[in-house]
Amino acid sequence: MRKWRSSGPAFAPAAAVALGTVVLLGIWAAASSFIHSEIVLPSPWRVALAVVELFPTSRFLAALQATFFRGLASFGISMAAGVAVGLACGLSATFAYTMAPTLTVTRATPVLAVILLALIWFPSGAVPVFAAVLMAFPVVVADVRQGVRSADPKLLEMAKLFRLRRRDQLKSIYAPAVAPHLVSASHSALGLCWKVVVAGEVLSQPVRALGTGMNRARIELETAEVFAWTFAGILLCAFTDLLFKLARRRRGVDVQPS
Amino acid sequence: MTYSLREVSKAFGELQVLDRFSLEIPRGRVSAVLGPSGCGKTTLLNILSGLLPSDTGERVGLEEARFSYVFQEPRLIPSLSALRNVELVLRANLPHPERHERALHFLTAVGLQDAAHQKPGQLSGGMRQRAALARAFAFPSDLLLLDEPFQSVDLKTRIGLMDAFLALQAEDPRTVVFVTHEVKEALYLGDSVVVLSDRPARVLDRVELTLPREQRRYGSSELSGMEASLYRLILGA
Repeated sequence: MRKWRSSGPAFAPAAAVALGTVVLLGIWAAASSFIHSEIVLPSPWRVALAVVELFPTSRFLAALQATFFRGLASFGISMAAGVAVGLACGLSATFAYTMAPTLTVTRATPVLAVILLALIWFPSGAVPVFAAVLMAFPVVVADVRQGVRSADPKLLEMAKLFRLRRRDQLKSIYAPAVAPHLVSASHSALGLCWKVVVAGEVLSQPVRALGTGMNRARIELETAEVFAWTFAGILLCAFTDLLFKLARRRRGVDVQPS
Repeated sequence: MTYSLREVSKAFGELQVLDRFSLEIPRGRVSAVLGPSGCGKTTLLNILSGLLPSDTGERVGLEEARFSYVFQEPRLIPSLSALRNVELVLRANLPHPERHERALHFLTAVGLQDAAHQKPGQLSGGMRQRAALARAFAFPSDLLLLDEPFQSVDLKTRIGLMDAFLALQAEDPRTVVFVTHEVKEALYLGDSVVVLSDRPARVLDRVELTLPREQRRYGSSELSGMEASLYRLILGA
């Protein structure tokens, strides 16, 4: 079946995105004026105003910075642990079976259950990081393991016959197979980290945190400010996406025959 | 002194590929193993090299042997240059300067000195297979196994590849087992030709080739006489 493809000039995608944005904002504005209550659903302009008021404050910047570093820390930890465990799982079936119960349990545990337990165990600043690591780690493991398994069996056979050393096999056969999976793993891990970190902050209330600001605004019924804090969280995620999009564009994927 | 397989059997499920199969492999010579498609030639090589365990039977003199292999496909690492691909199999044996020198020597021997720094994706099919040949000779192996490595290229490239192999073999004679279903290739490269039956493979005959290499050119009359007798053997006429 032939896929539908835009036959228009190069600006078509940008124009479509712009149209989508306008439609979204239009629905929001219409709903807000229909509900007619700033506490339930503030208008886009009211939220824009709240953003302009909130973002330059030192309270906001400190919170943004703290959340940013929590996200980065949880990302770093889940990647390091996930890559190590994922490689081991891919190389050893026994290890993969050993890890299976742990990974299944972590994957199946609801985010909020993890956060509630972490609240009992850890200081408030560490709760979001712990929860995010626990959520992102199995995703990274699964992706890296898949990468190891995608290594060309014909090359592995060649390596066995020519008695390549383990580290040479890792470097020249497994690493190139894992690399593309590593990119997709870090993309989804970082996206997950931002969201879980903010969710964790809402419940654990560290002094400086986007989640704390969000929850305080909710208690004060400053719904527009809740939106403004949320907008900051969205920006973090969008920033990540942009980063990966640029990275992908810079190193074009080259496929070569074996 | 020879390497050999004695009474080796191998079945995949119901399919009996080798049934009490024996083979002598004289050292320093090219044993061409000629058999129909699907008769178990690759299985034979895999049992020789130890990649596959046999169900019963014995490998003699092969336990400690090191193997080079040229596969049907080049099986080069796509991210490494031809030179690095050859160097890779020497890493466990040689320090860097010797490794580099040896890899370059064998690449030069197959005519790839100018393409040594190209990656497999930038090389033609024939050049990739040349690099695979260079790798197999560079690796200090006791046995060199060739699994129809000349099949995927056109006739002219194929003859060029086979000549590259003969030049390497003349310079550094190895014990070679060359598996093929092409009578011409077997006659062109072999010191002897072992003719196999359909599955399960049996040795129908072993023909010693004494004809000097110069007289084995494609299309030469000496070769066509031998070709005809091998065809009769294969077709059971």
